[in-house]
Amino acid sequence: MTDLLQLLFAGLSQGAIYALIAIGFVAIFAVSGVINLAQGEFAALAGLVAISARASGLPLPVAVVVAVATVAVVAVVMERLTIAPVKAMTTLVSLILTLGVSTALKALMLLVYGPNAEGLEAITPGIVTVAGVSIRYQDLWILLVAAVVSAAVYWFYDRTVTGKALRACAEQPVAARLVGISLGRASLISFLIAGIVGALAGVLSSPVYFTSWESGLALGLKGFVAATLGGLVSIRGAVLGGFVLGVLETLTAGYVSTGLRDAVAFLLLIVVLVVRPGGIFGRHAEARV
Amino acid sequence: MTVDSESVHRLSTEAPSRHRGRRGDLVSMLLLLVFLAAFPFVAPGSLVGVGVYAMIYAIAALGLSLLMGLAGQVSLGQAGFFAIGAYTQAVLVTEYAVNALLASVVAVAVTMTAALLVGLPLLRLRGHYLALATLGFGIIVAVLATESDFLGATSGIFGIEKPDVNGRVYDSATEYFLLLTPVVLVALLLARNIVESRIGRALSAVNDSEVAAESLGVDTFRLRVQVFVLSAAYASVAGTAFAHWIAVVNPNAANFPLSVKFLLMAVLGGVGSVYGAVVGAFAVEGLDDGLRRLIPELVPGAVGEVQLIGFGIALTLIMIFLPGGLHQAFQLLVGRIRRGPSDGAAPDPGAPARQVDGGPLLVREGRPEPGTPLLVVEGLTKRFGGVVAVDSLDLTVHAGEIVALIGPNGAGKTTAFNMISGAVIPTSGTVTMSGKRVEGRKPHVIAMAGATRTFQNLQIFTSSTVLGNVKVGRHLRSRAGLLRGALVLPARAEERALERSARDLVELLGLGPDADRLAVDLPFGRQRLVEIARALALEPDLLLLDEPMAGLSGAERSELALLLRRLRAGGMAIVLVEHDVEAVLALADRIAVLDDGVRIALGTPAEVRRDPAVISAYLGVETDDGSELASVEGPSAS
Repeated sequence: MTDLLQLLFAGLSQGAIYALIAIGFVAIFAVSGVINLAQGEFAALAGLVAISARASGLPLPVAVVVAVATVAVVAVVMERLTIAPVKAMTTLVSLILTLGVSTALKALMLLVYGPNAEGLEAITPGIVTVAGVSIRYQDLWILLVAAVVSAAVYWFYDRTVTGKALRACAEQPVAARLVGISLGRASLISFLIAGIVGALAGVLSSPVYFTSWESGLALGLKGFVAATLGGLVSIRGAVLGGFVLGVLETLTAGYVSTGLRDAVAFLLLIVVLVVRPGGIFGRHAEARV
Repeated sequence: MTVDSESVHRLSTEAPSRHRGRRGDLVSMLLLLVFLAAFPFVAPGSLVGVGVYAMIYAIAALGLSLLMGLAGQVSLGQAGFFAIGAYTQAVLVTEYAVNALLASVVAVAVTMTAALLVGLPLLRLRGHYLALATLGFGIIVAVLATESDFLGATSGIFGIEKPDVNGRVYDSATEYFLLLTPVVLVALLLARNIVESRIGRALSAVNDSEVAAESLGVDTFRLRVQVFVLSAAYASVAGTAFAHWIAVVNPNAANFPLSVKFLLMAVLGGVGSVYGAVVGAFAVEGLDDGLRRLIPELVPGAVGEVQLIGFGIALTLIMIFLPGGLHQAFQLLVGRIRRGPSDGAAPDPGAPARQVDGGPLLVREGRPEPGTPLLVVEGLTKRFGGVVAVDSLDLTVHAGEIVALIGPNGAGKTTAFNMISGAVIPTSGTVTMSGKRVEGRKPHVIAMAGATRTFQNLQIFTSSTVLGNVKVGRHLRSRAGLLRGALVLPARAEERALERSARDLVELLGLGPDADRLAVDLPFGRQRLVEIARALALEPDLLLLDEPMAGLSGAERSELALLLRRLRAGGMAIVLVEHDVEAVLALADRIAVLDDGVRIALGTPAEVRRDPAVISAYLGVETDDGSELASVEGPSAS
């Protein structure tokens, strides 16, 4: 029983990271139909920037702010340089473009920070034991921040005018433009959001899971799976998808085999897409003509 | 929120440009041939080594280029299949001492099986899912290889010997290059043939308009799976060549950066242009080699796969500035040089078809007897949320009759039409075509049962000529599959017959002078005729026409009406949705009138014309005097 609780808790903490990455995928996809393959790199970059800022003597909170700000700028610049200039954005084009950016970012990180994986120091170091389950304080921080950020993003889309405008772009691009919403600006804001949540995922996860130039690949893939579980266009679905994936992964690692851990996401992706293309929480997708 | 899943998967209208760049294609093939023949003798020693890798990777990139150009899908796990090929080869050669050639056949078969298993579930989905799922697949292959002791875990399998053919050992870079040259050329030739074949034509049509291609009987899913498996086969051939050259296979063969490299090769060369992948492979390998030397000099202490930075930047730049890759650049260059007479002589578009006689058309053996029920629709209903677009529609269409579906805007005509043709899934009710239940099935199933359609909002295949459009309509009346298409010769007779029958149809509809023009360049009304010719190419028993008269001139309308009568005389049944009430009353044998999703009348033109419910639906007033519909103008088409 304790084992199960321990695994569940670890899964939730891991899932919270996936949820944050997934929110980034949804934010961009919902507005422009672009799958941003550099989403995982946002997280890796934030982790590495924070580590090096800390190493140069900045206090941890400042290092985190520097990291998030850096990634936010990178995301915005990426949108302006690579997404905005393309007139006819098809699935194929968007995938190749963002893959290009992702690859360049990866190599840049390798050049600047070298090949080794490192971990940022924890916000609160140490472990507390509750009912036989040992919990890192960092895990609690992860859950707390993920909850606050998801709620904030949800509130943004649901309650603010800008958020509603973004949703309008996603649902009826032409009509949105007719009432004066700029699609270009909406796309820019969506990248900004994706950059910030991705960066937060990166700095939060680094103390536990470590960060290297290539850790963005797995994080991005799993964030995408989480977002897909939630239907790819719903913030709530993305968060739930993240937790489901995190828990399933740790349970598989705990009870079946650690080697299979990375296969879970892929298998889940296939099963969900084939059985319920609209996501496990979404409605069934209707064919459109 | 809705996902815009119908977004087009094409990179540019240039790819695959079958008709405009034929000579350019030939020139580039020739140039490539000269280049490959000269390279190992002209290039300095170290560059030949780079060239060998370029040749190996070119084969995998070719497969990817086919997948992207034909199926409109992108795989980020091409290295996964490359690795399966390499590992299978390595195991067979080292563990079981199998002959290298035999081993490579097995390796390719194993990889194709794996691709089939992966592709079957994934290819039902749209582009980005396949991309991410194949990315995951590549990672899993690497994980499995690392975890498996049988495959040598992280260190991999050693001691694969260089191939030895009749006592000649291919162990130097030059020798190996020479060994690979025919392999690459054959791979190239097969790929090129496939692009030009019946399958290539169908897939190109799918990329232009999936629903139109399916309505002509193209089984999109099946063809996509075939191309996906073929693409994996190319990767595995490359994998086997790789295993022998490098002599050791480890999990790096499934490395994600390698998949990125394959993608860059295909994209740089120009997606869908087959020789482009080979050119791209040389360019990328050169870039790779150069960067590996250059970057450590610029940045002291740089280790690992730093050349990736060049790949990333190159991918991004190409997509923004030259989405058709080097192929596009080359086409532009060649086009500029020989721009001239072909564009100048635009045929007179106004010339209507010369109808010499008015006899029956497209009479075919085995057509159902006139009068037998062909299409039976019962209780067909479609609800969109709370709105009932079509409410329990019953309709029977017999062989050899023309039935018109009319009604005011928003009456549900097009929805009913879409359900019958398989483009929309009905909420309830049945559709039986020639005794076969087809409701809720994909359009190609209905096409196979003998019914096809045209579209109100035109669905022309934009990258083909008029003739090319009509040829797609012959898809179900021809048989050459991927293999026969790749080998060309066995399919040649069929291609010739197909060309002839397509030309006949084009002539029949008066499109002869425009046959070799791009269909999109034609005026609206003539594009409509192209769609009709394309549908007739299927030789359907039932032809579904969605507003065929819209956009036609008066003369063209009467030509079309005559054509439809002749088709009816030939035994074909025709259902048309039409706003031109006058034309319908003159043409149809029976008319069904829809209003608010409900069938309010069904009968001969004479009956419908006097039906009070119909008159009130059109005029919006209750009438019980003797007025007739004949003078009522139909609401204008959108």
